[in-house]
Amino acid sequence: MNIEVNGPKIYYEIPILGGIKITESIVNMWFVMAVTVAVCIWLTRNLSVKNPSKKQIVAEKLYLMLYNLVKDVMGEKYIKFVPYIGSLFTMSILGSLSSLFGLRAYTADFSVTLGWALMTFIMIQANKIKHKGVWGYIKSFAEPVAFLTPLNLVSEIANPISMAFRHFGNIASGVVITSLIYGALASLSKTVLGFIPNDFISQIPIFQVGLPAILSIYFDLFTSFLQAYIISMLTMVYVSGAE
Amino acid sequence: MEKYLDFVTIDFWEIIFTWVNLLILFLLMKKILFKPIKNILEQRENEVNSMYSDAENAKNSAESMEKEYTRKLADAKNEANEIVKNATRTAELRSEEIIRTAQEQATNIKEKANKDIERDKINAINEAKKDISEIAVSIAEKVIEKDINEKDYDRLIENFINEMGDSE
Repeated sequence: MNIEVNGPKIYYEIPILGGIKITESIVNMWFVMAVTVAVCIWLTRNLSVKNPSKKQIVAEKLYLMLYNLVKDVMGEKYIKFVPYIGSLFTMSILGSLSSLFGLRAYTADFSVTLGWALMTFIMIQANKIKHKGVWGYIKSFAEPVAFLTPLNLVSEIANPISMAFRHFGNIASGVVITSLIYGALASLSKTVLGFIPNDFISQIPIFQVGLPAILSIYFDLFTSFLQAYIISMLTMVYVSGAE
Repeated sequence: MEKYLDFVTIDFWEIIFTWVNLLILFLLMKKILFKPIKNILEQRENEVNSMYSDAENAKNSAESMEKEYTRKLADAKNEANEIVKNATRTAELRSEEIIRTAQEQATNIKEKANKDIERDKINAINEAKKDISEIAVSIAEKVIEKDINEKDYDRLIENFINEMGDSE
């Protein structure tokens, strides 16, 4: 049997500007956004100063956790990054976890993770220019000595690429391995049950029950959380460190 | 035939979509999640702070009131002592005056009574003298049973009275 590991499906191609492809990743992203917004609206309904409801306590706790994380990592003056980090983290973790609901994780799409990494890259450069001025920013690449300039440039450009590939690779490898294991278990089932003359029963992939679920705890839950945390953390550290 | 992107590829429009989606989610979450919760937390903090300052103010005013009341209480005690002292002195003066007046009145009454007694005594003596003379005359008339002349009669009475006055 063949095991195919594909990129995201192309649902539709708008035939302008060289073809704008509406892919599975983008549609899944919209879906995740809709769910997130719905949850946010539900969480912040009937907020009260006194006697907060249980969901309000949860919402406040989550907010404070994020707030304190941003404050500790980035410092008080970058506290405006709380919503951005929050939305990036949400986008990343729900994107990876959406594979649990049978959607293709859009974090296993390199264009998406590269988009986020480029966003961080732009923020880093903007923050550098803001603090050093344009000339100071250009000059900073020739520090500490001029001949290190190419190296500085490479390390600067390597940042977003490594970030994008780290996130993409972790999630995509999960997708690949899960597909491989499903394929392997299907053929194992077929081999074991192949002697049964009934076509229907011999096709039941009994080994696909159980083992993939255990693996998915690592590949989906653990990796999803870890990668979301890493990309948020790196964004915070790089942006606040770029002064 | 379903079309797929390559497994590892960079699609320009997908990056743009990713940015736009992230921006939209950022703005929405900021508006409907982070702002309201931040506001609620700030409100709560303000409320707690104002409660603390209210409590502080209440404590201060209670302390100052306590001081004032203590002072007023001490004043009232002094005043009460003063009043009692004054009243005692007034009462003493008054009682002395009453006693003095009473003594004077008693003296007056006593003097008046003495005078009355003196006068009554004199009156009684005179009365008695008169009665005795009449009794004496009538006794004498009975004894003598005759008319004595006026001259002898007067002399006899005089003698009698004088004898009685001496024996007194």
